[in-house]
Amino acid sequence: MYQDMREGIVDMDSTDYPALLRFIKNPPKRLYYYGDLSLCQNLCLGIVGARKGSAYGKWAAFSIAKKAAEHGVAVVSGMAAGIDSAAHQGALDAEGKTIAVLGTGIDVCYPKGNRDLMETIKKRGLLLSEYPPGTPPIAFQFPQRNRIISGLSRALVVAEAGLSSGSLITAECAAEQGREVFAVPANINSEYGIGTNKLIQDGATPVVVLDDVLRGLGITGVCRQNGEFELLGEDEKKILKHLAANGELTADQLCRLTGATAAELGAILTILEMKGWIMTSMGKIYIAKAVF
Amino acid sequence: MALGKGLYAKTMTGSLLGLEGESVVVEADLSPGLPSMTIVGLPDASVREARERIRTAVTNGGFSFPMKRITVNLSPADVKKEGTHFDLPIAICVMAASGAVPAETLKNCGFLGELSLEGNLIAIKGALPLAMGLQKQGIRDLVLPQGNAKEVSVLENLRIYPAGNLSEVEAHLAGTWPIERYLERPRKPTTGKRTDVVDFAAVAGQEGVKRALQIAAAAAHNILMVGPPGAGKTMMAKCLPGILPAMSYQESLEITKIYSIIGEVPEGRGLLWERPFRSPHHSVSAAALVGGGGRPKPGEVSLAHHGVLFLDELPEFRRNALEGLRQPMEDRQVSISRVSSALSFPAKFMLVAAMNPCPCGYLGDALRRCSCTDHQIKQYHSKISGPLLDRIDLCVEILPVGFSDLTGGSQVKPGIKNSEALRKEVEAARSIQIERYTKEGISCNAELSYELIKKYCSLDSAGTELLRTAFEKFGLSARGHQKILKVSRTIADLEGSGSIQSVHVAEALRYRNTLLRR
Repeated sequence: MYQDMREGIVDMDSTDYPALLRFIKNPPKRLYYYGDLSLCQNLCLGIVGARKGSAYGKWAAFSIAKKAAEHGVAVVSGMAAGIDSAAHQGALDAEGKTIAVLGTGIDVCYPKGNRDLMETIKKRGLLLSEYPPGTPPIAFQFPQRNRIISGLSRALVVAEAGLSSGSLITAECAAEQGREVFAVPANINSEYGIGTNKLIQDGATPVVVLDDVLRGLGITGVCRQNGEFELLGEDEKKILKHLAANGELTADQLCRLTGATAAELGAILTILEMKGWIMTSMGKIYIAKAVF
Repeated sequence: MALGKGLYAKTMTGSLLGLEGESVVVEADLSPGLPSMTIVGLPDASVREARERIRTAVTNGGFSFPMKRITVNLSPADVKKEGTHFDLPIAICVMAASGAVPAETLKNCGFLGELSLEGNLIAIKGALPLAMGLQKQGIRDLVLPQGNAKEVSVLENLRIYPAGNLSEVEAHLAGTWPIERYLERPRKPTTGKRTDVVDFAAVAGQEGVKRALQIAAAAAHNILMVGPPGAGKTMMAKCLPGILPAMSYQESLEITKIYSIIGEVPEGRGLLWERPFRSPHHSVSAAALVGGGGRPKPGEVSLAHHGVLFLDELPEFRRNALEGLRQPMEDRQVSISRVSSALSFPAKFMLVAAMNPCPCGYLGDALRRCSCTDHQIKQYHSKISGPLLDRIDLCVEILPVGFSDLTGGSQVKPGIKNSEALRKEVEAARSIQIERYTKEGISCNAELSYELIKKYCSLDSAGTELLRTAFEKFGLSARGHQKILKVSRTIADLEGSGSIQSVHVAEALRYRNTLLRR
């Protein structure tokens, strides 16, 4: 266990114990870690959400995480499927910092499908757990660890949550701990977003543009990169404007709106996707970068 | 050896080995002894039963059945004989041996037909390949049941004499009442238009799927449609036959042979001119899908030869049935080996598959919540093996068309092409491919091998650069890379472009598999 400095135990009485965490209600007495423990001293942003997110929710988590990481903020989440994983991916995509607080021992990978993600976080980020190595995933451990996610962070973003999502518990913890809670607004006809919309109704700060979260963390002077938009071709710009106006569209709808044939549209969509302007999922096309 | 009149006769018929007809010599010998009839030469049960049919048919036809010891030999003697078409040749041979029919008239004449107890000639299965086998041996005259005449009439240099019963055959051979030759030649329908299929233009929207299906049709690419229930996957598949290119004579002949041996060439039909469209239910067994069985029969993959095999609800098919598809998809034929022989049935089919994204069908739907657990989704996707997915060149998502789009005008909008127009484009693209590959032994882009892809699907520098970026950004595999090149080649052909442009590659990238991750 103590072979290298990269993994170990940190107790509450140690100077390496994360400062913000010390003063929450019922802080973990002992933390097991693997990775760079100093990340906890960083400015941290928690991003959580439902396990079964829609493509929009995952995009929101990914993009907020990426933006935060680009500005040096460490992204904290639970490495669960769906929103949590998207958040970690976003931070890693920006070559930034990320911390995963697990509901199992740090040597247990849950869910199994996140094996690659876990390995990457071990190498480039930090794994934390209040449970000893070998602890399997047991239901009550997950809501418990949520208080650590919000406890480490200066603010919490709930990217997408249904009515009964565990991330709503994390929001409650964050509010109790005095952290600012952000929620990403969802379409009102979407079952996936009822929880987040309700949070806004109950007082959470809505994320109107991605930069809102950074401003909430006290980061100003945010760099904008929409100069790239002007460099696109006319057809590409037309498509992006339609997407920005409608949120999400099918290829069919785009054909109708632009008058392009399916063949012409197909080629342009591939180029836009490669340049990172759009993303597609299950036949729907979404805008990925701010156009204004 | 002196053959005394009335003791021996011989004639010609055929035997089926898989799809091919081989000629068979029928000999009949009458010897003194207790009246009996023995058939030798490895006859199977239906041929052995011919004894009873023949005896009764001959007597009911008004002829006397010889009260002698009759031996019938079907040569070559080491090949299994199956089928009911041996009735007529054996009956005629026995009658010739007993002197009821002049023996010389049997020479160089082929006979096919099942006999009823009354002596009527009943149409048989496999008439076309059997006739082709006889023709190969130099036989120019063929007597067969009326129901099979049209089917066989496609062959050149064959004089066809359709008969209704045994008496007519006897009268023809004796010269008292010759049968009129069947002289009609089958005419190819003048248009390729299919009247039984929904027109593409009648379907509102779905431009992306229509385009993908057109690309698939242009070069027989295998295609997978993924979408929620009610999106229109089954309907689009059923529209597909309307845009398939017309078949060549050779292709029609091959299909007619296959349908002939299972008895599905309708009486009164000549060649089958329309590409087959087979859509077996997902409960189909592996043997029914691929072919085989004790007496090897062609499976759905062979019945879809040169046509479309539509598998709706792909994950619901039995695992071993789907696994059985791999070999025919790779080899374009089904090889069946038995102790005595190795048969192969051709199986050059285009696979069209449809499935939901998850068991409940609503994964990814922004409005309806998917009620499946992660485990269920994984299980569902894993029913389609990697190797099977590898052989599918195009993947397309299909979503339900919105209400406003459905009601926004029942007339065909200008610019929306109907099936006829799409089919013409498909045929133009297909002719380009046939011409391009004359020396390579293939006929469409879907059949391109690794080496041929290198030869015919080269990209310019812009295209190569695009594909390289895509490789990194989208995580393509080597197999995926090959598929993109093939599909780009087809898109270029559809656009009438001799070389593959980067815009063709960009479009081809839309149809990569993003739905079922491994």
